[in-house]
Amino acid sequence: MADALQILILGLALGGVFALMGSGLSLVFGVMRIVNLAHPALIIGGAYVAYWGFKLWGIDPLVMLPVAALILAITGIVLYKLVFEREARSAKYSEMTVLLTFATAMIVEGAIGTAFTNTQRVTSPDYATDAIFIGDIFIPTGQLYAGIVSLAIIGALALFLKYSRFGYAIRATTQNRDAAELLGVNVNLVGMVSFAIGIALAGAAGALVSFVFSFFPAKHWEWIAVLMSLVVLGGMGSILGTVVAAFFLSVIAAFVGAWIGSTWSTMTFFLALFIVLLVRPQGFFGEKPELS
Amino acid sequence: MSLTTLDGTSDVLDARKTYNAALAKRADRTRATWFPLLLLALLLAFPAMQFLGNYNYAIHLILFTASYVVMASGWNILGGFAGYISLGHNVFFAIGGYFAGMIFARLGISTIILAPFAGLLCAVVGYGIGQITLKVRGPSFIISSLALVMIVRILFDHWEFVGGSGGLALPANDLPVRWAKLPYYYAFVVMAAFAVWASYKIKHSKFGLGLRALSKDEIKAESAGIDTRRYKTLAFAISAFFVGMAGAVWGEYLTYIRPNIFLIILVSVNMVLICILGGKGTVAGPVVGAILIVTFNEFFVATLGASEINILATGLVMASVLIFFPLGIVGTLAKSGRLPRILNWD
Amino acid sequence: MSKLLEVSDITAGYGDGPSILDGAGMEVEPGRVHCIIGPNGAGKSTLLKAICGMLKIRKGDVRLMGERLNGLRPDQILRKGIAFVPQERALFPKMTVRENLRMGGFTMRDKAELERRINAIEERFEILGERRDQHAGTMSGGQQQTLAMARTLINKPKIVMLDEPSLGLAPKIVQEMFGIMRMMADEGITILLVEQNAQMALRRSDWGVVLDLGRTLFQGPAGELLSDPRIQELYLGGKRAA
Repeated sequence: MADALQILILGLALGGVFALMGSGLSLVFGVMRIVNLAHPALIIGGAYVAYWGFKLWGIDPLVMLPVAALILAITGIVLYKLVFEREARSAKYSEMTVLLTFATAMIVEGAIGTAFTNTQRVTSPDYATDAIFIGDIFIPTGQLYAGIVSLAIIGALALFLKYSRFGYAIRATTQNRDAAELLGVNVNLVGMVSFAIGIALAGAAGALVSFVFSFFPAKHWEWIAVLMSLVVLGGMGSILGTVVAAFFLSVIAAFVGAWIGSTWSTMTFFLALFIVLLVRPQGFFGEKPELS
Repeated sequence: MSLTTLDGTSDVLDARKTYNAALAKRADRTRATWFPLLLLALLLAFPAMQFLGNYNYAIHLILFTASYVVMASGWNILGGFAGYISLGHNVFFAIGGYFAGMIFARLGISTIILAPFAGLLCAVVGYGIGQITLKVRGPSFIISSLALVMIVRILFDHWEFVGGSGGLALPANDLPVRWAKLPYYYAFVVMAAFAVWASYKIKHSKFGLGLRALSKDEIKAESAGIDTRRYKTLAFAISAFFVGMAGAVWGEYLTYIRPNIFLIILVSVNMVLICILGGKGTVAGPVVGAILIVTFNEFFVATLGASEINILATGLVMASVLIFFPLGIVGTLAKSGRLPRILNWD
Repeated sequence: MSKLLEVSDITAGYGDGPSILDGAGMEVEPGRVHCIIGPNGAGKSTLLKAICGMLKIRKGDVRLMGERLNGLRPDQILRKGIAFVPQERALFPKMTVRENLRMGGFTMRDKAELERRINAIEERFEILGERRDQHAGTMSGGQQQTLAMARTLINKPKIVMLDEPSLGLAPKIVQEMFGIMRMMADEGITILLVEQNAQMALRRSDWGVVLDLGRTLFQGPAGELLSDPRIQELYLGGKRAA
């Protein structure tokens, strides 16, 4: 029983990090209808920002987090202006953007790999390897901090979307682009800003990832399907759904890993993605099919 | 009521027939059938150069290009004709490679003989997978194809019978170095010719017409009486067939089968990229694309070496092609009416 | 004196496509209910979209009290006083009723005034007050249409354009929607209505416009159109209902 509780806690801790990794992806899809396959590669970009901050100047990755978010937000705006804005009129928009983000993922990976080689890295502040013990149960502090920060960021995002004027505009554009435009929302600006926010979230997630996982430029391929499974299960575009799915699947994966074998724990995400896409393409939290 | 009872209708029909015949004649005149045949003849004769000197590198490059022509032409049937973009077709490259490679390792039967059977196996597997994944289209289909690669990669990495992540070494043939590559060379050139011919035949069949219709609008195609489900599943199976055949011979040529050769993302990206660069849905596109991509790859590997720069460059090329030539070289030229006759294979 | 709204000989179409409207025009008098009828594909919805700025006008003019509206964005036209309820109602399904109403005044600067107007609307349309925290997407078709029509009132419009308000609604609910429309008209709001059910719509309108092949063929008092045998035969489905 204590075992199961331990596994549950480890699963939840991981879920917190995955939640932030997935929510940017979800936001970008919701507003722009872009399936951003480059999102995990951009997370790695954020991880490198935190890594170098720590390595060169000894700055804590949690302090580097806003820096990573800012740098990635700027990257996001550049990407949007350079690549995605002109695709808005393309007839095969959704297909084209998937292929373009795929190419972007390769560009980001190749650029990082060329600059910093393919060596495994990890940021190692003291808390990353520490743990808190409650009786027999231990909670790794690194994952705990990452989970708390991640939920705090998602909470702030949710409040922003719910109550700010720009949040109204983002939600309106997500739900009905034409109607939003009709009522005076500048949908192009909303598209660019939400794209930038989504990529900034990738940067923030990267800073957390930098001390939770070891990483290298090509690592993002492993995450694409993992993150996609969260977003698809959560109902494409629903951030709350993505968060719930992140906790749900991480816990299942933790149990699969502990009871069946660690290699099968990632398989949980892939199989979930495959099954959800085919059984219920709109996800379990989305209300209507978004992808077609 | 027969049409002839209407006054003048038969005249109209005659005029329409003459017009269509003239159009077809013009298409025939602009299509240069002799060029691909000449190209094939040259390629078949090329190994004679080995009597004069060592052209092993050129032979390797042609073989490499031909293998991509097979795969990309196969991919094109699903991705180009039917409009279902798969980023996971290296799964069939792996299945074909492992099936033929394992039999070759155990029983010593050449993979060149096994290739059609490997292709058939992949067609069957592809038909099965297509039954499931073709239910969704657009981005959902693309994501499902990525998930498929991830799943298959984990399975092969942990399947000890086929060597797990370390893979298996296959025996090299005992021909002298000068001739050692030739069996594979001919196998790939012949398969490439077959794949191009099959694309042409499929494109001009009722089946091909149906695929193109459903790629434009699946619901309309269905209401026009096309069994879209069967058509696209069949397209999936045929495309898997070609990719599987290429995989079968590729393993023996390299003398090993290993997940990180067959199941890396770059292999499936190359299939997609070749088709997009050459021209999705055209017959000559995969050939043009394969020549460019192989040349480009060699250039980068030779001058820069590092694989990370290669990935960066591949990504940049892919993005620029998508943005500036979404129809590919053949497609863009054909649209503006400037396609040289020798490249009009459609 | 210039008319409230004057649409003169406009040509418009989607993107680079062919012109759907070619020589469409109408005159709009304050306080009247204007009904645009015509067969499928005649360009009725296109005309409304052209007026509200969703489509580029290629030729001709749209003038509101003499002021040219061509080339303005939909939200600018909305602020000039022309509100549009499109066929699909333009609601945000996962926003609450109240949030949908707030979106109606998205460009308003005075937030306190916006809240006052929302409260007034919720008092007037009880159903919207009762369901203020419900997601719009979970309401019935009639309630959604009510919300869409009521939302236009936030901007205190001079003209409200309704594209097929009866679409997909039960006959009894359709009567309710026309009731709301009439009420708006009685308060001095000018209505432009597009309806498939021309017979019924004309009977509730003051002025009728017949549009076909993108051109205005007739316009006149609704009663005259209803009794004109040619229009009856071509556009009202034959014999006149009792």
